[in-house]
Amino acid sequence: MAKIEEVKAMVEAGKAKLVPGLVQEALDEGSAAKDILQAMVGSMGVVGDKFSTGEIFVPEMLMAAKAMAKGVDVLKPLMAGDTSNSLGTCIIGTVAGDLHDIGKNLVSMMIESAGFTVVDLGVDVPHEKWVEAIKENQNVTLVACSGLLTTTMPALKEAVQTVKASGLTGFKVLVGGAPVTQQFADEINADGFAPDAGSAAVKAAELVKSL
Amino acid sequence: MLNGGKPEFAPLLYELYKVCMLATNNTDQPWQGGKDPFGVNWIATAEGVIPESGKILFDDIADWKKYVKFPDVDSLGIEQMAQIELADFTDGKRKEQPVAVFNACGLFERMAAFMGFENTLCALIEDPDSCHEFFAAMADYKIACINRYIDAYKPDVIIYFDDLATARGMFMSPKTYREVIKPYHKRIVEAVTSRGVIFNQHTCGKCEDIIEDYVEMGIKIWDAAQVCNDLEGILTKYHGRLIVEGGWDTSGPASYIGAPVEVIIEETKRCAEQYGKKGNFILFPVLMNEKGHAFMTGDERIPALIMTWNQVNKL
Repeated sequence: MAKIEEVKAMVEAGKAKLVPGLVQEALDEGSAAKDILQAMVGSMGVVGDKFSTGEIFVPEMLMAAKAMAKGVDVLKPLMAGDTSNSLGTCIIGTVAGDLHDIGKNLVSMMIESAGFTVVDLGVDVPHEKWVEAIKENQNVTLVACSGLLTTTMPALKEAVQTVKASGLTGFKVLVGGAPVTQQFADEINADGFAPDAGSAAVKAAELVKSL
Repeated sequence: MLNGGKPEFAPLLYELYKVCMLATNNTDQPWQGGKDPFGVNWIATAEGVIPESGKILFDDIADWKKYVKFPDVDSLGIEQMAQIELADFTDGKRKEQPVAVFNACGLFERMAAFMGFENTLCALIEDPDSCHEFFAAMADYKIACINRYIDAYKPDVIIYFDDLATARGMFMSPKTYREVIKPYHKRIVEAVTSRGVIFNQHTCGKCEDIIEDYVEMGIKIWDAAQVCNDLEGILTKYHGRLIVEGGWDTSGPASYIGAPVEVIIEETKRCAEQYGKKGNFILFPVLMNEKGHAFMTGDERIPALIMTWNQVNKL
């Protein structure tokens, strides 16, 4: 098996200790850094699909994301300045009044694995903070707002409306969280909705490619 | 209801128990926020307390013994809390209303309170040996506390909280739960049931894959049963072995802040129609307002809910 195939398999299996060595071996074998990265992104797509269908659970997805991150660390010095594989910057956070971070963190990892640079604003993000973050960061292509509680659904709406009313452009807005539905996402004028972290990464890439 | 008998009516949680939650405030998590006896800082929100985001005591479960210092159970004031909570609860009242004592922050939640969810979930599959050690020691602590609860409160029910699932499925695979958490969960259940107290398991989310495990361990009531599970199937399958407490669509319009009374009434009737008839169901409505959960804060829509339920809950 070519080393790049082994990298893919080990990312999918979440073998964080093995992936860096295999990535180096793949490089030594002559594979280009961007091809190895693309292979790992593909693996994470498979992992996301398996999570969405219930074949694997959160720990397995986390381990795969961790394995990919270790592989990316090896590639980073070789890809400095190369943005050809990048999907841009994603501003992510949990909306005002909501302190839950697990869903947001999972989406963050999967979105990063799909090729975004992630800027995580944390939890309980004030509405105006989203706009500030879009202004402060370069090449923002996605804003991802999370809310777990029915009580913070109005805050989700306000966050989306604040971002949309800011006059800033060049990005799409993705929303998600336990009480959020496609219908609610449509009502609050979000550009996209995803029911789980695996499909969030797919949706994020799809939205940004439509920019 | 516990043994499959037919009750006259399906109960409403709001009216059912004398709820006692001060002891677990001292032993597990402070409901008003602040540090717990292990040093974890909790933040109070309208919907309950959660560990402060981004603050963890350690990130590798192999290190737990360096950071986890078990409090002296004698110092936690369990008996004083019982005296306060039961001060006006006479023997006469005891005959009419079961006493339910909360035991918050179950084994999985406790590990997540120390390490954060991501580290905890990875630890379950990366280092199960250390997890076994941690859960064994934490089960010892919880059993010691629960025994003191039972002595002090003489409860009918212990409600043990451990959210093991998300809205779409278990956090971890059922296999991982069974291998790493369940042996210690089972010990806690047996510590309660061996003293003649009913074990009520609170688990939010879609946890239907381990309901069989719950029943097998001796859990008699499953609390906060959410509609993402096949509640009708579970009520039927486990009739006489498990009471389902919940049923409310907690992510739906009836749980939105300011949901109109008409929506509340409609949801109440749906629960009666779909679940109440089964005979092993307790309605747990989740009405939310600006102050939080109506069960704790009160709400002007509750009287209409109770009136409706009492019209449709007869069996």
